[in-house]
Amino acid sequence: MTFNPLEQRGIPLDRQLRNWRELNVEPIDPDHCDPYTRCRIITMNGIEVEAILFSHQLARHTVDPEIKRQLARTRYIEAQQQKVVNWLLPGVSSVLETTIAYEQVAVDLTAWIARMEPDPYLKQAYQFGVLEDFDHLYRYANLYEMIEHRKAESIVDGLTEVIPGRPTKYHHRNPVDNVRDPYDRTRTDPLSKLHALTVLSAEQQTMNFYMNTGPTYMEPIARQLYQEIGLIEEEHVTHYESLVDPGETWWEQLVNHEYNECYLYYSFMEQESDPRVKAIWELHLNMELEHLHIACDLMRRHDGRDPAEILAPQLPNVLTFEPNKAYLRELLGTQMDLTTLGAGYVRDAHERFEQMQEQIHGGEEPPSEQVITQHDAMFGREYRLETEGEHPDPAMRENS
Amino acid sequence: MTEMHTPQAGDDHAADTDVVALLMRQHGDIRNLFDEVEQSTGDARKDAFRRLVRLLAVHETAEEEVVHPFARRNIPGGEQVVEDRLTEEREAKETLAALDDMDTDDPKFLPRLIALRADVQEHARAEERYEFTHIRRSTDAARLASMAKGVKAAEAMAPTRPHPGVQSGAATWRSVRWPR
Repeated sequence: MTFNPLEQRGIPLDRQLRNWRELNVEPIDPDHCDPYTRCRIITMNGIEVEAILFSHQLARHTVDPEIKRQLARTRYIEAQQQKVVNWLLPGVSSVLETTIAYEQVAVDLTAWIARMEPDPYLKQAYQFGVLEDFDHLYRYANLYEMIEHRKAESIVDGLTEVIPGRPTKYHHRNPVDNVRDPYDRTRTDPLSKLHALTVLSAEQQTMNFYMNTGPTYMEPIARQLYQEIGLIEEEHVTHYESLVDPGETWWEQLVNHEYNECYLYYSFMEQESDPRVKAIWELHLNMELEHLHIACDLMRRHDGRDPAEILAPQLPNVLTFEPNKAYLRELLGTQMDLTTLGAGYVRDAHERFEQMQEQIHGGEEPPSEQVITQHDAMFGREYRLETEGEHPDPAMRENS
Repeated sequence: MTEMHTPQAGDDHAADTDVVALLMRQHGDIRNLFDEVEQSTGDARKDAFRRLVRLLAVHETAEEEVVHPFARRNIPGGEQVVEDRLTEEREAKETLAALDDMDTDDPKFLPRLIALRADVQEHARAEERYEFTHIRRSTDAARLASMAKGVKAAEAMAPTRPHPGVQSGAATWRSVRWPR
């Protein structure tokens, strides 16, 4: 591929503002859409939310009012992009239905990135994390059938399996063990920077979504499960954000954000099956190219460096939503019993882990276990979607 | 063909102590049957559609007999909330009655079914958000449980055919005949 965003010009910023009619997009049909179209929408919403929040933080650390005004102009357009993207989700979907789609994103996005990540330490971080999102999907799928009598299969459509991962109750680690070591910004592959920012943004949006929508449920088990998994999303944001080199300057970070948005809109434009949504990815790519140029100018002016030094010479291979079943099964067979100790990984339940477990569970089964027990009481079985045979870990097979 | 099972309120092992939870699960059953009709052909589709019609009929009747009257009397602005829901139900019933006369293999059947599905789904979510939420707020556990019983009883008695003319007129639902 030879697409180099640095050499392309997009739509001039003063022609990017959209009116109410243009913002009022028709949502996708939840019962007939491509599940990966919904995954791309959820991913890009997370990316735009991160872009907005990052720009606000940058503005709060900026003294020069002229630069604040420049940031505000781009950020307003990004806020419009977020509205268009997230408003593609339909009002008829329930929070739980959208939650299952969020977990499908977490599974297939993180698994793909783990497969493609060149740095072994970063790859391990994604492999570790994906087995947890995989288990969240299974827990929420059981809750979904209890509350709505619907099977998660109607959402994930057989593209992603729904079976136990690393059990959710073991995700509660001492917070200090969630902090990873960062990559070195001067030596790492530019692709690794994009991966870290993408997964971080997706997990952050998931954290925000659960922390805000969890209490809209009235069913006690639903409220409790959103609290439990919401706290794990806090751990995941800590895990992934600590992979990013804190030595990157504000302007370097801004350029990385804008470059990543170009990369993802380009990737999704290339693979989108819904022509209406594809047109949005294309339009937004053309907006982002201009945002990238503005960010590059700011970096040149304030850091006195050429952005080309920190970026890839051309866009990496497109980030793709596709089934990762065999890869996930391999991880399920080999990495189920891992936990973290310091910035590394161990198989033993060490003292700090045990202590955290004892304190947070308070001698009771957590909501993530209760949901399976309650589902079993209601239906006489669990909800699972096994498309590739029984669970690779014999201990995790139903009735085992 | 053997008689296929039509989902009904209370056919899982839930305690059914909350009318809202019961009806929300039934909204999912309806959605499942729409999937089944769309994904089948021939006699299997005819059969799935017959079960969908039956479930919609008993579900709406139970809501009209048990839930809407309660909401009308007991939730703030209940009259208008229920009026809006009844308008949606009336429109859905009209579409359903028209579909009912059509061969399920007719090329026009599926597009109309999908349009009906969208209306039914919007109606179901509107009930959950603008009516059921307020029912849970404005009553106690005992009443939610007794209404759940009421819904199950009403469904057992309900006609199994749609009739768009009148709300809660159980007799009028029976006047529509099954297609051959």
